Amino acid sequence: MTTLTPIRDGVVDELRAILGDEGVLTGKAARYNRTRVPAPFPVHRWAEYVPDLVVLPRTAEQVSEVVKLANRERIPVVPRAGGTGLNDGALPLKRGIVVDIKRMNQIKEVDLVDRTVTVGPGINMLKLNEELRRHGVMYPDDPASYPCSLVGGRIGTSGWSLIGGRYGHTRDLVISFQMVLPTGEIIEVGDGGGRKIRKSSTGFQLKHLFMGHQGTLGIVTEATLELVPRPEMEFAAFFHYPSFVAAWESTGALTKSGLASLGGVVLFDEHKLRYLRRDDEAYIPRPDHVRAVVATAMYGTRDEVEPAARRIMRIGRESGGTYLGDEISSGDWASRHDRYATPLHGRLRTGEVVPMSWHCEDASINYSQLPAVMEKWHAIADRYITTTGILDDWGMFCYTNGAYKPWGDYLVEIDIGIWEQKLSDANWPDWVACKREIAQVALDHGGSITACHGATREGDAELVPVEMGGGFDVMMKIKAALDPNNIMNPGKYELDRAYGLDEKVFR
Amino acid sequence: MTAPPYDPMSDGTLQSDFVEQWRDAAYGCFSSGHKFCREVCPVMQVTRNENHTPTAFHANIVAMEQGNLTVADVADDYVHCTQCGACELRCPNTLFTGDFYRNRTRTVKVVKAMRALAVQSGIEQPGWKRWVEATIDAKSEPVLDVAVSQENVANWADGLGLPIGGETILFVDCEAAFYRTSVSRSTAQLLQMAGLEFGLMREQWCCGGPAAEMGYTDAARQLADHNVADWRSYGAKRIITLDPHDYISFTEDYVEYFGPDYEFEIVHITELVAELIREGRLTLTTPIERVVTYHDPCRLNKRKGIHASPREILRAIPGLEFRDVDHVTQWSYCSGAGAGLAIEKPEITAEISRRRVARAKELEVDTLVSACVWSERPLSAAGGEAGIDVRDLMELVAESAGLDPSGVHGAAGPQREVPA
Repeated sequence: MTTLTPIRDGVVDELRAILGDEGVLTGKAARYNRTRVPAPFPVHRWAEYVPDLVVLPRTAEQVSEVVKLANRERIPVVPRAGGTGLNDGALPLKRGIVVDIKRMNQIKEVDLVDRTVTVGPGINMLKLNEELRRHGVMYPDDPASYPCSLVGGRIGTSGWSLIGGRYGHTRDLVISFQMVLPTGEIIEVGDGGGRKIRKSSTGFQLKHLFMGHQGTLGIVTEATLELVPRPEMEFAAFFHYPSFVAAWESTGALTKSGLASLGGVVLFDEHKLRYLRRDDEAYIPRPDHVRAVVATAMYGTRDEVEPAARRIMRIGRESGGTYLGDEISSGDWASRHDRYATPLHGRLRTGEVVPMSWHCEDASINYSQLPAVMEKWHAIADRYITTTGILDDWGMFCYTNGAYKPWGDYLVEIDIGIWEQKLSDANWPDWVACKREIAQVALDHGGSITACHGATREGDAELVPVEMGGGFDVMMKIKAALDPNNIMNPGKYELDRAYGLDEKVFR
Repeated sequence: MTAPPYDPMSDGTLQSDFVEQWRDAAYGCFSSGHKFCREVCPVMQVTRNENHTPTAFHANIVAMEQGNLTVADVADDYVHCTQCGACELRCPNTLFTGDFYRNRTRTVKVVKAMRALAVQSGIEQPGWKRWVEATIDAKSEPVLDVAVSQENVANWADGLGLPIGGETILFVDCEAAFYRTSVSRSTAQLLQMAGLEFGLMREQWCCGGPAAEMGYTDAARQLADHNVADWRSYGAKRIITLDPHDYISFTEDYVEYFGPDYEFEIVHITELVAELIREGRLTLTTPIERVVTYHDPCRLNKRKGIHASPREILRAIPGLEFRDVDHVTQWSYCSGAGAGLAIEKPEITAEISRRRVARAKELEVDTLVSACVWSERPLSAAGGEAGIDVRDLMELVAESAGLDPSGVHGAAGPQREVPA
């Protein structure tokens, strides 16, 4: 607690005047604990990314004052919400001030007439829904990190929801929000004017511009969100198949059913099944002929879901699936969030169990390309497992990715275990090369590097200009225009190029 | 209780040993980093400061291993914990793979160990230091500014005619012995009514749990040694606890201290009273006309999985309207009283209790029933503000059994101040 920030005393005093003494943290522990997120991190170089200080604002005005001060002093500003990202958007690459918005977690208005809830960006969805339950409504943004991620981070990354097939993803569920721009102005951003208007064609569609920018274009300070009726019924059905291809074909049939209550479909590949058999205590043992699994989940009124469930069971069976039973279907689905985070340990080729961190690629890939991408990704992983000796392949999931129309493309995830304790300057470049090859496969197959995490990590970031093409020039122009001093989360997305800087993320 | 003076060199050795011991467990959390624990943590819900998250408590150890942080950098953060155990329950590592790999998340142990390292390194919290010194001095915690002494430790039992010693011993917590004597009097009279033979200790000292929780391991052990010797001197076999904190001390700390020779059966009062009611040895006939909800004490519910017996007891009380909130929802509830937080950070304790009482208020009840005498002090303060009565479960059971236990529901006067 005693080591103070490298930022000069006068600036710290000004920050204390803005935020109060308890809103400015200069201690080492405060700074080290706001350096990393769950994404694999070069732990041996932790000290190089530690922010200079941390502020804990309570109001948009405080955030605005901090950003203005940072512009004047040319100090980088990095927004941090839950710090649960699987990308490193909240990692302060160039130190500076971390703006931690967890104290902005108030529910400001529940409007049951126009069906909105207005919140501070520091609120968590589970906590929000605990409060909304009494009104019979919910905010259905449901990522793997549902118990811990915060609304501000969901906007900053343009998140994906497990039940987005029915309810939409973060961009469909956030109606409008208040932003502090990189130069400190506070603006309202929506589809159009009014805070509660869902659809407008007045002017540019700024809402999309200010989602998924990973904190490079400002800081959200308030958000107005969609409310939907709490579903009367939830139905989950899991099917198993003798091969990945059989499961993939069935996935196509299930997702094209046109059933509006279909929240999501998840395809587990053969590597995933092998991993679950090998190392997941929660895996319910199945015979060897169970090679791939498809999970479906439906939400809605009883009048919708009951007949739709009969239909989905029929499609699942007619397309080659065998029902895995009620215990696995309802039990596994109910514990999905906890199961995302289960692979906390992995195995070396020797079979030795070691603590491993979870790396999750999350490309967007069209349905037609899934088998080819799967094959290439596993081949890449296999090669790097051999050469680095610190990785493990935990298999793949493919999740429906389109809002309301869950058939065309998929969030495709390969889960790779990485033994962070063994990271060094010698093997970090191998890890980055592995990621880059995985991302390149996504592009080669007409996909996108990332469906929801963002692509600011080294290995992904270099390919953002490739994926965006001419759009990347537009990104750079927007960045330079809105953030003339490159204050907001500098070093991310190769956007330093907009300022004539060409620095690698993790050198 | 004087800690050795701060010596950076010896601190280095202590710290290396500590890191060696806890590093791999810390990586179990660090490598996940998913923070499912954060929003159930009662302290974090109030401070919203990531320094106070279980995730940080583990990550700090990794940073210490890397040479980035020292115990001096982090000691204050570890004060911000009630050791309620919610984070461990919410950890995916515990929920699924932890037991499989024999590497279940043990954040409470990590917090205790870091606090012990701090004390051993000469980094002490002034309130805790005074508290433990006073405890060692008087053999009971300084729960009141007066009258806490060995001479008075059994005053609560005046007129009850309780014997000393025997096979079954009622261990009366410091808070219940001096501050909220209605709990101990209710409990003793209920056991008498049920015809249970039990006695008090010859000389009851504090269980040592709070000292252990604050990092004063030697003091904790000294108190434990005395109590076990006292029990053994008259051949005690069974110890009844009326406070969940004692129950943790006797079923976890003492087992570690005394190993396989530790021969006592430890019974918690809610389990025993539920059994006595079930067997018809206690009959509850006097209607209690209250609308109540139940506060799951963290150490019973989250740490020991005891949540059924208190509910069974409440449902057996005639006249009572019981509006329950399930024990899993209550993982994120707390009174804030535990692990010394109320001594060092009373304002956080008060706010945690305020929020807990507000939850009760939403249910439109008139009474919040707890089964942890330590929780009842801050909850009563918050209840006073909100117009909700806070009662101990045993007080209501005694009333319903037609007893008039008397005793006080909380002594008056300055309550957490330790004599300097």
